Amino acid sequence: MVLNSLILITCRTINQGVALEGGKVSRENVRACALCAFDKEDFKKLDCLVGTPVKVITDFGEVMVYSTISDEGPHPGIISIPMGPWANQVVNPDSQSCGTPTYKGMDARVEAIPSGKVLDAVDLIKLLKVA
Amino acid sequence: MVVKEIKTITDVVCPFCGTLCDDLEVDVDVKEQKVIEVRNGCQIGTKKYFSSNPSEHRYEKPLIRDNGSYKEVSWDEALDKAADILIQAKRPLLYGFSSTECEAQGKGVELGEMLGGILDNTASVCHGPSLLAIQDVGAPTSTLGEYKNRADLIIFWGCNPVHAHPRHLGRYSEFVRGYFRKDGRNDRYLIVVDPRNTHTAQIADLHIQVNPNEDYELVNTIRAILRGVELDIDAVSGVPIEDIKKLVETLKSCNFGVLFFGMGLTQTLSHHRNIDAAICLVRELNDHTKFCLTPMRGHYNVAGANQVFTWQTGYAYSIDFSKGYARYNPGEFSSVDVLIKDEIDASLIVASDPASNFPAAAVRNMFKHPLISIEPHHTPTSINADIILPPAIAGIECEGTAYRMDSVPLRLRKVKEAPGECLTDKEILERLVEIVKKKKGE
Repeated sequence: MVLNSLILITCRTINQGVALEGGKVSRENVRACALCAFDKEDFKKLDCLVGTPVKVITDFGEVMVYSTISDEGPHPGIISIPMGPWANQVVNPDSQSCGTPTYKGMDARVEAIPSGKVLDAVDLIKLLKVA
Repeated sequence: MVVKEIKTITDVVCPFCGTLCDDLEVDVDVKEQKVIEVRNGCQIGTKKYFSSNPSEHRYEKPLIRDNGSYKEVSWDEALDKAADILIQAKRPLLYGFSSTECEAQGKGVELGEMLGGILDNTASVCHGPSLLAIQDVGAPTSTLGEYKNRADLIIFWGCNPVHAHPRHLGRYSEFVRGYFRKDGRNDRYLIVVDPRNTHTAQIADLHIQVNPNEDYELVNTIRAILRGVELDIDAVSGVPIEDIKKLVETLKSCNFGVLFFGMGLTQTLSHHRNIDAAICLVRELNDHTKFCLTPMRGHYNVAGANQVFTWQTGYAYSIDFSKGYARYNPGEFSSVDVLIKDEIDASLIVASDPASNFPAAAVRNMFKHPLISIEPHHTPTSINADIILPPAIAGIECEGTAYRMDSVPLRLRKVKEAPGECLTDKEILERLVEIVKKKKGE
């Protein structure tokens, strides 16, 4: 199932904070940050189980992360990914000449891909390294 | 039974977030120099102490990449090679600095100037817009202690302290009892402005659910209503106009209000214009009552990095030394922008992880060129670096000064020795400065 016309926000979570203190290349970081949180009603439309990999696509890139239902809802039409390497594959790098990229508020669409592979931080970042 | 000799260090300042909690107690196994217990800290701060113990995630010796794998080398060799990379580069980037102490930051400035490079700290990707706005319109602000004792109305706009600054609410802004706020939470009115019903919003008295990217319109509508302008519309930024009118009355009627703001204002479309408007709102509210604002700084010493850079160069971040003197222009000399334009030909990253924190397009260009990482742990940046220089963690394994989010300096404490051959950030940068000086014949 595909969901269009969503707005992506990157955010802080306590698990993301814990994972970034000394566990950035561990599974802990994947569990904390490779996540896309949906509004409960939006998630029903995706028609998949919690934890199903989803591909998040914006004008700036795409990334595979696990899906989850937000416990900070309701926020219909808004999805959130914790700040980190996964979120940064799809954020808007443009700073509008102020230095700070636009990490929040990108238009996004999401596709549930049950067979999708969510990469860990090391493999994900490796993709950015030109051989 | 093995009896361990345990030393307890009290009044420890936590080097995680800008709240700089100064009441931690840390138990250290004296023989093994390991943290075995942390009291009073939040989940994240506690984790930082435990992850300082030797583990497979911690570097203990300088490493140089050699044919795809790392080999352990002496400090002399690693620093010599690092200095060569930096001297040969036409436009090196020196980035990070927010998770280390002020003296190391000072050495970073010296190195940046000698190399004629770009010098930047993590404010560049978080509260840089706040600094721009403060330079534009000033900032009515105060210290967290004043807020704790006096504030009866707290606004969290675009920030979620329950997750990002876990003890802020308990120490300064909400649950704590203050001198004039003896009943703690019951004596304060909490407002959260956020597009999501965040965990902070869930404990608030009022949650204003603003549309994403539309904070600027909402702030200016509040300002207009405050000035008595009649607006012929039903809603702004998804918030009914009647609710905004009620909000304005609430803001005017408090004794002492505080606006705390975070990435929800700085990283959305209007960036520093959001903060400009928010500061003007706070200034105008002072016609009616007492009102202040404070940015919720993330890294524990990003405020210190801004202070040190400012007193040494005149500018808080995004500094270019290519002409031999400091120039400042965020958008042109800021790390993400210089990387995206592929202007950088070597990077020295100090106490930061831009591979995780920068947009993919910037990281891709950073990886094209030599990368030196001063970093205690395995991170997506350090494991792709050409040279890894392992530091002692400031605030755990060495002393130093850090600035809290309200720019109050606090002294960090040392609780244990660093593992292996780790040097402090200051020592590493100091030695790099000396080597570069020598090689350049200065």
